[in-house]
This record gives sequence, structure tokens and C-alpha cells, in this order.
Amino acid sequence: MKNTSFLSIADAAAFVGVSTQTLRRWDKSGVLKPDFLSPGGHRKYRQHMLETFSANARGIADQWVSSREPMPLEAKYHCENSGVFQVCLHRFEQELVEELKDENKAALIVAVAGEIGNNAFDHNFGNWPDVSGVFFAYDLKKCQVIIAERGQGILTTLKRVRPQLQTNEQALRTAFTEIVTGRAPEPRGNGLKFVRDVVTHNPLCLFFQSGDVQVEISPEKKDLLIIPAEKDIRGTHVVLEYK
Amino acid sequence: MIIYLKKFGTTLTSRQIGKEAFAAILPVIKTAEAHERIEIDFDGVVTFSPSWGDEFFRPLFEQFAGRVFLKASNNASVKATLAMLEKVYGKPLPQSPAK
Repeated sequence: MKNTSFLSIADAAAFVGVSTQTLRRWDKSGVLKPDFLSPGGHRKYRQHMLETFSANARGIADQWVSSREPMPLEAKYHCENSGVFQVCLHRFEQELVEELKDENKAALIVAVAGEIGNNAFDHNFGNWPDVSGVFFAYDLKKCQVIIAERGQGILTTLKRVRPQLQTNEQALRTAFTEIVTGRAPEPRGNGLKFVRDVVTHNPLCLFFQSGDVQVEISPEKKDLLIIPAEKDIRGTHVVLEYK
Repeated sequence: MIIYLKKFGTTLTSRQIGKEAFAAILPVIKTAEAHERIEIDFDGVVTFSPSWGDEFFRPLFEQFAGRVFLKASNNASVKATLAMLEKVYGKPLPQSPAK
């Protein structure tokens, strides 16, 4: 039976693990609305809605990268450094092979996730603006992998080697189409080209947001149609879905 | 000489670890005869991606040009990665002759 108790904003904030200011901001931005306002105008939250909200990894990642101040992140989602990410990725690989019974399919999914996650560490090492590391979660039932980070963003990184880049849209297009790296003169810069190549040739779908733009890539959406996102975020937010 | 990549793990995706893998194997390769073939075996690797591959293969091909050959693999991530590296390097990667 669902728990239908109502929580005040202070209790709701403690339940979700954020401040009351954050809940007020989420209310304004639409991330998390209260279930109703009391006659006195106080926000009231249903506990089971908060439970659902907290269990939604994609939603949590979205809040984490879009909040101005970094919100606390549960340890199960937070790979603070590259070493932790490698461990999580390896565990994901093992579970995915077991779940899919198809090592080749699992290998491609993990390779894409690995390139995206490792890219975040490579390009932000020593330069994380506030919180180091990536949000990493996967759901074997929803067939979904989520990676997000509060890094400098692709535009800032690529501008070092392509000063003519002015917008997130230009930077994202460059990252997905050209062999270029924000760590020049190191010979790098093939990660997102590989990601795009694999996704467009396999039953995968990639949602990639960087700053205030986003793109969806799949075998049916090979063209890089980069569009404005609903809101600006820190760093990047990626959702990889597989069938 | 055959280098079995699975000895570095089954999930080979990180640049840092690819670089470390090359640093670790370099002294071993240097013990080979001057013209000995160096074959790379992918058996047992589950996930392979260009970041790891580039950090390992770029210096390997540079320092041992003409001696390094890749054994065939049916792993989809190995195939996709090698295809990407061939695009990046602008040339085909040398394959071991099929048995």
C-alpha cells in the first residue's frame, strides 16, 4: 500500500537530501513541484512521490547537473575519480553480459559508456569547477545508462584549441564530427566520433546534453540535429538507451 | 612474441590505463629479438574502446614499426575500435595472417 503521508518542505528536503532552498528552486524551475499548497501557502509533498522521485536516476542526474549549487549525491551514483568509474564500469559490463546473454552487444554498450565517462575525467582532471567526478547509473530493466558531470563543458574545453568556437552548439557539433581534442598537443580526440559511429550502427539511442543544447542520435537519427535544451546545465548529461 | 591483452583486464576503455599498460609491457617487448614479430591477441577482452587502444597502439606502432600485427577478433567492440583507429591514423592496421 502506498504511503500517503504529507511532508512539510523541511521534512521533504531532509527526505530527498537537499536544502529547503533547493526544493523552492526546483518548484520554480519545475524539477519537483509540491503536491499541493496548504491554506497558509506552505508547500506539501506526498512521501511516496518523493520516493519515486528519489528512485529515478535520470531525474537525480538532471537535478545534479542543473542545480546552481551542487546537491549532495548518494555514493552509489558518484564516481569521484577515474578509478572508481573503472570499477563501476567493469561491474556494469559483467551484469550486462549476464542480462543480455550477448557479449558483443554488451561490449558496444560498455565501450560507449566508457568513452563518455572517461572523456569527462580526461577533460576535467584538475579543473572540476565544483564537484569532481561523474554521476553513473544503469538500469538493466529500463535498458538505460546515465552519465552526468558538472565539468567545464565541451565548449570551454574545445575553445582552448578552437578559439573561434562561440556556442555550445558549435562545440558539440565539432566534438561529434572532427578529430580534435581539448588536450592538444596530445594526439587524442576520437571518443565522441566513436560513440556516434557505434550508436548509429546499432540498436542504441543516445541523448546528449552539453550546456544549453542537446542532441539525440540513433540509427534513425544519424544527422546531428542539435537543438536548444529546456534548461542550461553544468557539464554534460547523457542517457544511453539500448534495445 | 604474443601479447595477451586480457592480462590487462577485460574492460579496456580508459586512456590512463592504456598508457600504463604500454609502460608496463614495454620492458617485456624490449627483450624480444630485434626482428621478432609482436602479435596482439584480443581473446578474453570483453570491452575495448579507442581511448585505451590509442594510448597502447600509437606508441607501439611508432616504436616497433613493421613488427606489430593484430590477431583477428570477433568481438564487436574490438572491431569498432580498430576501425576508428584506422580512420584516425589514416591507414590500415597490420593484421596477423589468418591460420
